[in-house]
Amino acid sequence: MLSDSARSEIQNLMAQYPRARSAILPALYVAQQEIGWLPDEAMDEIALLFGMEPAEVYAIAGFYNMFYKEPKGKFHLEICTNVPCMLRGSGNIADYLQERLGIGFGETTADGNFSLDHMECLGSCATGPVVFARRSQSAWGRYFENLTPGQVDVMLDELLLEDALPGEQTPARPYHHDHHPETNYLLARIDKPHSHKIETYLADGGYETARKALAMEPAEVIETVKKAGVRGRGGAGFPAGVKWGFIPKDIYPRYLVVNADESEPGTFKDRLILEFDPHQLLEGIICTSWAIQAHYAFVYVRGEYMFAQERMKTAIAEAKAKGFLGKGIFGSDFDLEVIIHSGAGAYICGEETALLSSLEGYRGHPRLKPPFPAVAGLYAKPTIVNNVETISHVRHVMEHGADWYRQWGTERSPGLQLISLSGQVKKPGVYEIPYGMTFRELIYDYAGGTVDDRPIKSIIPGGLSMPQILPDALDVGIDFESIVGAGSMLGSGGVIVICEGESIIPIARRAMSFYVEESCGKCTPCREGGSWMEKILKRIEAGEGTLEDLETMARVTKYIDQQSFCPFGPASVWGLQSTLRLFGDEYKDFILETNPNGHKPDIPVRPIYRADSGELHENLLDDATLAPLVP
Amino acid sequence: MSDWITITIDGQEIKAKNGELLTAAAARAGIDIPVFCSHPKLDPLGACRMCLVEQEGPRGKALVTACTTPVRDGAIFHYESEKAIDARQGTMELILINHPLDCPICDKGGECPLQNQALEHGTGKSHFWEEKRHKAKGYPLSDLVMLDQERCILCWRCIRYLQEWEDKPQLGLFHRGGETVVDKFPEGELDAYTSGSIIDICPVGALTNRLSRFSYRPWDIDRTPSICTHCAQGCNLIIDSRNNEVRRHVSRENMAVNDEWICDKGRFATGITKHPDRLQEPLARIDGKLQPVSWQEALQRVVTGLKTIVQRDGPDAVGALGSAKLSNEANYLLGKFMRGMVGTNNIDFREGAALLADPRGVPALADVREADLIVLMGSDPSEEMPVLANLIKRAAKRNGARLIIIHPRRIELAKYADVFLNPTPAEEVALFDALTRATMQARMEAGDEEIPDWLRETEEVESASVEALALAARLTMQAKNPFIVYGADYAWGFGARDIVGALTNWLITAGCEERLGFLHNQANAQGAGDMGILPDYLPGRSPISDRKARSAIETLWQTTLPTQPGLSYGGMIASARGRIKALYIMGSDPVGEKPADADSMKALEFLVVQDVFLTKTAQMADVVLPAASYIESAGTFTNTERRVQRAPQAVRPVGKSVADWAILMHLALRYDPAASAAWKTATISEVFAEIAQVAPMYADMSWENLGEQGQQWDREALPMGKRMHAYSGGSATPTDKRYPYRLVVSSLLWDGGTTFSATSEMAHLASRSARLHPHDAADLGLASGDLVEVLSVAGSIKLPLRVDDSIKPGTVFVPFSLPEAPVGTLFDSQGPRTNVAVLKAAS
Ligand SMILES: Cc1cc2nc3c(=O)[nH]c(=O)nc-3n(C[C@H](O)[C@H](O)[C@H](O)COP(=O)(O)O)c2cc1C
Ligand code: SF4
Ligand code: SF4
Ligand code: FES
Repeated sequence: MLSDSARSEIQNLMAQYPRARSAILPALYVAQQEIGWLPDEAMDEIALLFGMEPAEVYAIAGFYNMFYKEPKGKFHLEICTNVPCMLRGSGNIADYLQERLGIGFGETTADGNFSLDHMECLGSCATGPVVFARRSQSAWGRYFENLTPGQVDVMLDELLLEDALPGEQTPARPYHHDHHPETNYLLARIDKPHSHKIETYLADGGYETARKALAMEPAEVIETVKKAGVRGRGGAGFPAGVKWGFIPKDIYPRYLVVNADESEPGTFKDRLILEFDPHQLLEGIICTSWAIQAHYAFVYVRGEYMFAQERMKTAIAEAKAKGFLGKGIFGSDFDLEVIIHSGAGAYICGEETALLSSLEGYRGHPRLKPPFPAVAGLYAKPTIVNNVETISHVRHVMEHGADWYRQWGTERSPGLQLISLSGQVKKPGVYEIPYGMTFRELIYDYAGGTVDDRPIKSIIPGGLSMPQILPDALDVGIDFESIVGAGSMLGSGGVIVICEGESIIPIARRAMSFYVEESCGKCTPCREGGSWMEKILKRIEAGEGTLEDLETMARVTKYIDQQSFCPFGPASVWGLQSTLRLFGDEYKDFILETNPNGHKPDIPVRPIYRADSGELHENLLDDATLAPLVP
Repeated sequence: MSDWITITIDGQEIKAKNGELLTAAAARAGIDIPVFCSHPKLDPLGACRMCLVEQEGPRGKALVTACTTPVRDGAIFHYESEKAIDARQGTMELILINHPLDCPICDKGGECPLQNQALEHGTGKSHFWEEKRHKAKGYPLSDLVMLDQERCILCWRCIRYLQEWEDKPQLGLFHRGGETVVDKFPEGELDAYTSGSIIDICPVGALTNRLSRFSYRPWDIDRTPSICTHCAQGCNLIIDSRNNEVRRHVSRENMAVNDEWICDKGRFATGITKHPDRLQEPLARIDGKLQPVSWQEALQRVVTGLKTIVQRDGPDAVGALGSAKLSNEANYLLGKFMRGMVGTNNIDFREGAALLADPRGVPALADVREADLIVLMGSDPSEEMPVLANLIKRAAKRNGARLIIIHPRRIELAKYADVFLNPTPAEEVALFDALTRATMQARMEAGDEEIPDWLRETEEVESASVEALALAARLTMQAKNPFIVYGADYAWGFGARDIVGALTNWLITAGCEERLGFLHNQANAQGAGDMGILPDYLPGRSPISDRKARSAIETLWQTTLPTQPGLSYGGMIASARGRIKALYIMGSDPVGEKPADADSMKALEFLVVQDVFLTKTAQMADVVLPAASYIESAGTFTNTERRVQRAPQAVRPVGKSVADWAILMHLALRYDPAASAAWKTATISEVFAEIAQVAPMYADMSWENLGEQGQQWDREALPMGKRMHAYSGGSATPTDKRYPYRLVVSSLLWDGGTTFSATSEMAHLASRSARLHPHDAADLGLASGDLVEVLSVAGSIKLPLRVDDSIKPGTVFVPFSLPEAPVGTLFDSQGPRTNVAVLKAAS
């Protein structure tokens, strides 16, 4: 059923990777772009091409949200309803869209023009509400940001003008990062016209640093990064240089994998680099690959970042044309291929081992550690996984040196960082700030304060997964250690501000729904516990909660936190746990108000699978079914 | 014992192997850490989180999964700590919230790890008030296996089994998160040949046996540790029965034989004990028709019939066919009766004299596990021994064993091969000679000066390039621990002697002839030979010319033995119109295999058939003796690695049928009441004890001490110095323009044999077709599904065509034992290696 050209495209993709199986997601994209969805027959054909069992292909396709198991309308519109967008009113836009189109989520208009779905965070938290639109049977897709009802009308009209599809995505850039130019390095260029072009980059002295690094010993590069103390920006904050040092000697090949899966709700900093300054990332990749002696670098970009992927691919082509990538870069005998690999809608693939599973062409399930990727990662070879921002910092450290870097930040969190600020602030956006700066300065000085100057109710300091903190922590420094002191974590640096007047229950429920949607399903606590918690929260929201639910949630989230296979499990409940802890009274009041008699739900099955001899049921006969049949 | 270390669990110091998983270390110390996803035969996964314990570390105590934690010296664990217990209770609660708890109607109930662990590690109470998730219930994955997705706890065992042992990931996880289900590809089918193993290892009742479900409860069955007799691997299994009816077969571990697995034929093809067509009582031909008679009368008729002929024409006018499907005891007593009482050496079985098998089978099946090189010649384990095939795949994939395959078809295992050679029948000798030369050359290059010049050049042949020959030569020469077998494809029929000679030459040259073995197909082909069901060998495999061996047996049997070699299987049938006047056929159906032989049978004066069914041959008999199947009688079987294993009686025989060995005993006592002193073997263990006296390699064995894992007889007990075979240049069936194709015959797992087709639910699985390469089919203007006639000098059969690119051009593949299309019809006087023509047939 696939055309010859699709088949040969798939074969080319297979040849691109060290192991053909890695091309399975790209191949599924090719098929979907041709057919509009993935019928069993197409998967069967792909299985044959890859020499796999059809069940494997089916299982893979089923894991990733961006592959369709049934036909969609001509345009598939997905609106982010996750917490940051929710705080910016995406609920209204979602309602408006449903009304305009006359369909609900998961449905397609009668004319077949539009399918509508709600979506998880698209990395557009400062520019939400946002719709991700894809056109069936094509590779076309883009974001529509800063939506108002009026803009929704414009968007729908534009889409329907067949031949005049809105072209290249040029997001409005409401990024107020220019406040303190003296700390602008990563973001120095992004406001310039053509900031993404190699000419712009070269005019700023681009690629000189890579040249310089290539003249150094690899070990020296590692040493510099170690000395600078560059910490990972993907979430865990592990020192990059130290990680590189874990690579076992004499085992080759080695791989660099850049984590551009950026899917942690409230995080959108990597996107900015990918879209508007891809060359600084490429230069960082060159320095890092040289340091660890890798000849392949993969950039795993989340599937929805189609525009970022395009920009990266163009940048790679430009760099290749100049001889900065490919065979014998900069005239040396060092070869380096950079491959842009598109994810396909799975948050868990940001977790490094799940990412590697995905990149190898499997379902994105996390793997056992040890072995750690640095020892046995991609294709079981030593692999360094680093975040986009981490690698970009490497480029600047290599230019200016470790001491330059250490002039900012704190002893244990040195340097500058990108903060994605979203939620109810006047000027949300990405800010490049030194570690240690306080939340107060960030929110009130950089971002101009809260919307309508409302008081702050709560802050999520490091992406949706991190425990919330109260406004009494406003003077805590934004660095790894200080935030831990305040009871949370810096995570991916996504700061979400929630103001008084917002109810915490819908926020907790919406957050839980995200984790339920994204759980990979491998381990029991996360798979079973997450959806249980969501069901309880939904019930409370619907006015059927009981106080016992609060105990149950406290108990079960403990299991999810402590017993899951990968860090996703804990991350999925830290937020909920923090709201139970910080806003327990709000839950209680709401429950007592909405369900004053404490009615328990009618449950279809309520198993007590072992007779509970400790408790006497005196009132069993109250149950009508057990009442004696009286003549 | 330097790699033994000490770890502490709950304050108790225990010895453990450095680096083993905590679950294994704890189990040795009697601590049974509960697990679901973990399985001793599968790679650790750590998904279910049931096995949590606390481990002390530099940063305090932390919960770890015992199933993924390797133990190191001094490690300290807490299994019964409050925290660990709470953690496991938490996991248990979470596993159960969406489980349907339909234990009362679940086949697993009573032997269910989930049920048992819920009792032991659960709190007994659920706090889950929500509606359970609903998924597909009771839906078929194949004709054999049912899936209930609601019961599934997503332990991945089934998926991992298919991946790690079958290398056929036909099941996968679909969707993700809470929606995750185990499933197959919608259009696909679960058709791996050991698919049923996943039923045994599923820790819940999510996977059930489609043929046996709802027919038993695990606490209400009788369990008989037995073996499978579908092939010569002799996999260990348990026959579960209730009210004297077989309910199911499940696997039983024997690391020397089948690890912990059995194939789907062994598991599901259990219909023989329940088949309505089973013979219920003895029959005798009265007024030209077979009619029920009493055992007394039936046996008396056999005695009279045989005696009349012996007295008139001498003992050599009588012959007997034994069976590679029947027990050692049945075969032994048949031989004892024919040689000791009737007085003839006319005794053989189908895989007997005609098959050029190494009389010691293979050195050891378990050698595959550690082999650095595996050589398969004319043998297709995937179809003939699926469990062994899986061991081979694993050796190749995990241990890096190199694989050389020489076979007339591109068999499944070819995809793992380093060297796959595909000679057309009749080209094997040239190929093996070329391999010999290549090996000589390699030896010369390695410094061996004694190779004659004319042998120093590797020459390419039709089926192998110089490079392939050189690689095969190098691999065999370098192998330290090879597993090398040939199979029936190269050991039976025209020219087989030369092929076996040529392949032996190659391996002698490579220095590994000692490791060369023969892989039998039939359950007791090895044992039937050991029992002396051969025209020229005594029980214990001494030639009949061996006076000492003969007189030892004569003393024991209180008789004198004939000294002239008898006729072979084919010889007896061919002589049925001449010298042979009477045949006693036990567990064999020559007419079914080759209908043309009906004429010979008709010519006999007296024919006795002892069988479980009224076979084509039995229909022609004068007396038919109903035999109990192996499940209904006791016996021992000797598998292809000479392992003698017990198959005790599991259920009562059908109708008035009687165990084969017992029939023979009763017959003998009536044939010569005076000899009763030599026939005092009233139980299976007594028969076996006598075998142990007669066959030296069985000397130390007894029914009791065979135990549940069997005993292997020592290969050294039968030294077989292998010598270079005279250089023949090869002899092949002469080509004949009328028959332009070479016939390729071998067994497929799903065949039409009696024992298989007795399971009516499976009979349709048999692939009833002749197969041709697409090019040949195109040349002949044929397509899959066309009815074709395959004909040879000997006869012709009609069956549908299947176009199959694993078939070598110029050959036609016809499987054994197809219903209504017995390939034996095509065999020439020497067997299957013949030439055929293919024509489109009118339907
Ligand atoms: C559930 C989960 C999601 C993650 N998502 C991302 C992500 O989107 N981007 C990222 O860079 N790191 C992500 N990480 C962290 C990665 O596992 C890994 O630590 C990181 O990519 C390493 O790079 P770094 O040291 O440069 O931060 C995630 C971790 C978890 C547990
Ligand atoms: S915690 Fe478990 S189910 Fe959740 S994402 Fe990680 S491995 Fe998957
Ligand atoms: S079907 Fe059984 S073996 Fe397979 S994953 Fe489910 S519970 Fe495990
Ligand atoms: S048995 Fe250890 S996690 Fe499943």
